[in-house]
Amino acid sequence: MTSAVSETKTNANNIQGILVNDTENENRKRTAEEKEKEEENNNRHLYVVIEQEEGKILPASFEMLGEGRRLMDNFNSKYNPKENVVAIILGHNIKHLCQELIYHGADAVICADHPELRYPRNLLYTKIISQIATDKSSAAQISSSNNTFNKPRYMFFSADDTGRHLSSTVLAELESGLASDINKLVINDLEIRHEHKTKGKPISYKKTLEMYRPDFSGFLWTTILCLDNLNPENKKEFYPQACSIIPGVFPQIERDTNRNGKVIDFTPTILQEDLKVKIIGRRTIKNKVDFNNKKAIVSFGRGIKENAEQNIKLIENFAKEIEAEIGISLPISKKPYIINENLSSTYMIPDRVIGTSGRKVNPLVYFAVGISGAVQHIAGMKEAEFVISINPDAEAPIIDESDIFIKGKIEEVLPLLIKEIKKYKEKMQIPQEVK
Amino acid sequence: MLNPSGTLNVAVIVKLEPDFSEGNVSYNSDGTLNRAETKNVLGPHSAVASSAALYAKVKYGANVSVATMGPPIAEAALQQSQLICNADELHLYSDRIFAGADTLATSEVLRAGIKKMANEQGIDIVFSGHRASDGETGQTGPQTAWKLGYPFIGNVIDYDIDKERGYVRLQRLIKNYGHNDIIEELESPLPVFITLDPSYSPFFNTVSQRLNLALNQNDAEKRSSRYKEYLKTFSAQSLELNLKSVGLPGSPTIVYKVEKIPRAKANRKADIIDGYSQENLSQVARRIYGILGETIIK
Amino acid sequence: MEKFDVAIIGGGSAGLAALKQLSNLGKQAILIEGGKKIGTKNVSGGLLYSKNTTIGKVYNVEDVYDNFLTDAPVERQITKYMLHATSKDKMFSLDLTPTHNYQTNFGYSVLLNKLLPWFAKEALNSAEKTGGGIVTGIHVRSIMWKDENTIIIETDELEPFQVKAVIAADGVNSEVAQITGARRKFTQSDLYQGVKVVVKLPEEIIEERFEITNNEGAAHLFAGDVTLNHIGGGFLYTNKDTLSVGAVYHYDSLIEKPTEPYELVNALLSNPFVIELIKDEVPETKENYKNLSKEEELRTRFKANKLIKDWKELHHTYYSPSGVKELLANGKYKTKEEIKNKVDSIHDELVSKYDIEFESNYVELEYSAKLVPDGKRCRMKKPYFKNILFIGDAAGRGIFVGPRIEGLNVGIDDAVRAAEAVSNAIDKNSFHSNILGERYRRLVEESPYTKDMDEIDKNYLKVFLDCTKQVPNDIVDYRYRAIFKLMSNSTFRGISVGLVNKLGYRRLLPILESNKTYTEVPIKIAERKGKDVQKSYSIRIPAIAERIAKLNYNDDSLSHIKVLDSQSDFMKKMVTLCPTKCYSMENGRVILQHEGCIECGTCLKETEWRHPRGEKGIAYQYG
Repeated sequence: MTSAVSETKTNANNIQGILVNDTENENRKRTAEEKEKEEENNNRHLYVVIEQEEGKILPASFEMLGEGRRLMDNFNSKYNPKENVVAIILGHNIKHLCQELIYHGADAVICADHPELRYPRNLLYTKIISQIATDKSSAAQISSSNNTFNKPRYMFFSADDTGRHLSSTVLAELESGLASDINKLVINDLEIRHEHKTKGKPISYKKTLEMYRPDFSGFLWTTILCLDNLNPENKKEFYPQACSIIPGVFPQIERDTNRNGKVIDFTPTILQEDLKVKIIGRRTIKNKVDFNNKKAIVSFGRGIKENAEQNIKLIENFAKEIEAEIGISLPISKKPYIINENLSSTYMIPDRVIGTSGRKVNPLVYFAVGISGAVQHIAGMKEAEFVISINPDAEAPIIDESDIFIKGKIEEVLPLLIKEIKKYKEKMQIPQEVK
Repeated sequence: MLNPSGTLNVAVIVKLEPDFSEGNVSYNSDGTLNRAETKNVLGPHSAVASSAALYAKVKYGANVSVATMGPPIAEAALQQSQLICNADELHLYSDRIFAGADTLATSEVLRAGIKKMANEQGIDIVFSGHRASDGETGQTGPQTAWKLGYPFIGNVIDYDIDKERGYVRLQRLIKNYGHNDIIEELESPLPVFITLDPSYSPFFNTVSQRLNLALNQNDAEKRSSRYKEYLKTFSAQSLELNLKSVGLPGSPTIVYKVEKIPRAKANRKADIIDGYSQENLSQVARRIYGILGETIIK
Repeated sequence: MEKFDVAIIGGGSAGLAALKQLSNLGKQAILIEGGKKIGTKNVSGGLLYSKNTTIGKVYNVEDVYDNFLTDAPVERQITKYMLHATSKDKMFSLDLTPTHNYQTNFGYSVLLNKLLPWFAKEALNSAEKTGGGIVTGIHVRSIMWKDENTIIIETDELEPFQVKAVIAADGVNSEVAQITGARRKFTQSDLYQGVKVVVKLPEEIIEERFEITNNEGAAHLFAGDVTLNHIGGGFLYTNKDTLSVGAVYHYDSLIEKPTEPYELVNALLSNPFVIELIKDEVPETKENYKNLSKEEELRTRFKANKLIKDWKELHHTYYSPSGVKELLANGKYKTKEEIKNKVDSIHDELVSKYDIEFESNYVELEYSAKLVPDGKRCRMKKPYFKNILFIGDAAGRGIFVGPRIEGLNVGIDDAVRAAEAVSNAIDKNSFHSNILGERYRRLVEESPYTKDMDEIDKNYLKVFLDCTKQVPNDIVDYRYRAIFKLMSNSTFRGISVGLVNKLGYRRLLPILESNKTYTEVPIKIAERKGKDVQKSYSIRIPAIAERIAKLNYNDDSLSHIKVLDSQSDFMKKMVTLCPTKCYSMENGRVILQHEGCIECGTCLKETEWRHPRGEKGIAYQYG
């Protein structure tokens, strides 16, 4: 108990420390109010919800740990007391994965291992994740100095379907705010003046997670904050500040077996009611569009629009010539052009989307044809070994992701390129036959 | 089933969205959507959800309620949905106080609205779309489910109902982007909250269902031309909502700022090549061959 | 297994009439259609007749749909019926309106994609009352008999179901006939191949150009050099705000001298007289603006394209009374004048600001093709198999007598007779061929249309010959001169027609339907008696690839056609004769690419030919 009190004191001192740097004088007046707020705030740590499939941790989870590590290292160099990156993992026979999470940046892992948790089921997983996120005794094991744990300060989910659904239901259960599809995160002290949150008065919010979300076009960035209501007429605390993170945007940190951390076994409380959704069967199906077994991928975007049908046919021919699979950018999957139904139902489909809301690919050669290079698309193709773009506009962002940038119109460049490749193939074929 | 009379009650949550089809969508010169000049229509995922309700109506004789939250123009989404699913009831949740709501506050409105549907008999299945196409979060559906206390099941590609037992059996598609996909088969007692995978399309596999489908489509045309007769508009008050839990007051999150995404640092240094020069393209062809090698030459 | 009384297979005009009629008789019938929507798989030349025959009753469209005359979306009532003999630059015209009017209540030009959905709506309203209806997007795969009275139908899409009787209305390429072996495949001499394009033309321009009022329509037939030496001819019918322009040729003639079907329709389109009939003002889209920067160019082109779209719409609407009325009603314009001013101002803006040129050309909307059965050669003498009745094209029933080509009305007449037979069988609860099949055969035999397929109607002949009085006798080949003479004389006509009919009408066909009658004679007439015709512009006709690309397909990844012998002479001819170029030669073998197939059946004779699965394949917008 005493330690908790002293903790809060350090905390308050720290706030003053920051405020001293603040030139605004009137802020001093509110220090008392903030101290009070900070004292009752027992929300600690960054909790990261890990996803695994049949004992394999998904890459996006490692990426979240990587970003979490960087954020909390910064946090800890700036604020006191130190807070941790806590991985939550659910499943069956997954204990061996916990160490792996620590190697990838977690300070602690809370693990719920139970036969019923083998596959994610939203209802059951939501209950267990919420139990963990509000469990004081696990929190106490993470940092013994703090036993007044209320909820996580921050919480990360992966913005894939499973993570997105879990983030929504968990945050509905924890009654706090959530931002989706985030690709940049910053923790800052922010002065906020908001019609409702602060009733129009400027108030400083400490340790606030700025969550950057690109809009669907890839051109606008919206920063979302999850803030307590400090409006005297409707006071309410909102923790954790949570988000779902776009897979593929943040780098993992290097696996380091020297990293130490605590693994906490969590025994879930499972009610019969929580098990009412039953998994009867599961089977793997082959993707109709196969990006993995092709060495080359040709993707096209809105740049085809001037002559959509003809350009798609050209792209089709080109892909055939180099045995490539065909990908598209997200806007194309909304079938924005009225073209031959056969072409549109073959190519303008979500299955072919490359990017954050589609697949991530790493072919030997990636062709970006008429693709401007929205951030979402880049996230899906940046791992390609070699990138060739065709675009009339040398200002298009895709140039920064290209090894070769062919400046020109699709309808003019592709026929020439197809011809050249054909010529080259013929040339190369003859000696082989002689052999 | 919740309704003692044995009628299956289903609901659809829909949204009015920008129409991204050619000729209807307009972009600003900086590449962002020009919302003022872009037409609005029933979102494609909402249309998919509506078609799932149609399936329930045709196959199980379900009673269908459709709802949306938004300003009065959002009625258009209800009308277009009714044309798909031959809805028996349309709900518009419209109140100035709902403005600025984030997903948590929105789902609170939807929760209250769904409770009012079908003479408050209780809804057995709520359908909603996968995500809205104008970059929505995909959070509203699951959050509404949670608030209703309904199990949430996402990415559904097929479902059938066992009316006797009050169970639903479903298939859902789990996309492991980059890996092979998984089809998971589930069973759950009603009620449930379902979001449909974008690939969902109802299939009616007997002559009787098809005939029934035609009757419903016929009816839907008539009904949606007089959709106002089916429309009920609710305010925060008529939904008996706590004003602190909706709109801005009920939203934990705020939009802090909107900015143009700055150009990222170049990851690669591109050779810029004139696409009209045959000589240059010949070199490109050689380089492509150099990397791909035998795969393209057999 | 689900049970229904009757299944009608095929939702064309005959099948729908059968559904409507059976439902009118209080019987439960379901109609199964392969297309996703009714009318998307159907093509016709474009005339629907109602006949008032003297030798017996035919059942007309308005007998089946009592509100047809008031409500049906038909195009124009044909009031002018012309036959033109063409040579390279001359044309001689005959007014055949009397032959058109012969025993005719009316003849409407129609577009099936508009008309059939209306039939379907009417039929469905009646069918629903008896627990029947229409099921689209379904392809019937097999038909089996559980017992004499029970047919089990399997489809590619639905659970199997059973019925007591089937009416097969699945067209000239009837798969029901194939599956059951009810009739042989039609051969080249049984068939005509028709190719058609729908041309867009503003309503009032049509009326002015064809000298008709808004209730009237014109039909023009063509013979002579436009046939490219084939047996057959061209047609041009006025619709409300489109024209149906096409060519119908005897399949034998095509096999003999293979010619690309689109070349035949192109020959008609480029005829100097036709060119003037289809002419419209067409803006040319501009590819590039040289002295503008890239972005400016993009923006300019975007604006120009938008304006062009606006102009086309308004130009078309301005010449349509109903369109103008609507524009005035919704308050966008105050007067018709104002609309005209707007049309002109967009025009001027396009020319002056955007450097767009307007030129004379024509606007083609849709390319289509179909086979037409010649009833006098191939009608099923026994139009049933067990408890399956065949109607319309499926039974090979169509009328081809000189300029008289009729199919839609024949199918409807068949449908009524089939419905009556089936209804009677249901009442008796016996579907034995004595009760059902034979009864239907007798009913069909009684139809005046059947008589038209078997015999020359001397009265019709007289009307026809009266119309051709201006044709100099000596042009007609000596072989026919005697016949002509006999026929022209009223006393002898009766005797000689009687003689011909006794000898067998079919024996005379090689003489009546020959190169001479369809090409040489008309050319001679045109050259000798015709007026000069000159074209005022040069037409740009879309290439076949463009035409195919414009069509709507929902491609079936499974090919519905299998080539039996890729090296046969017949299949080699398909490389030329397929209207959408589905066949090509590779290393001496004929290769099929089924994706562009419009399901006309031209290649059916030597292929394993099925319709595509439900909802798949071609979907016409006009038909």
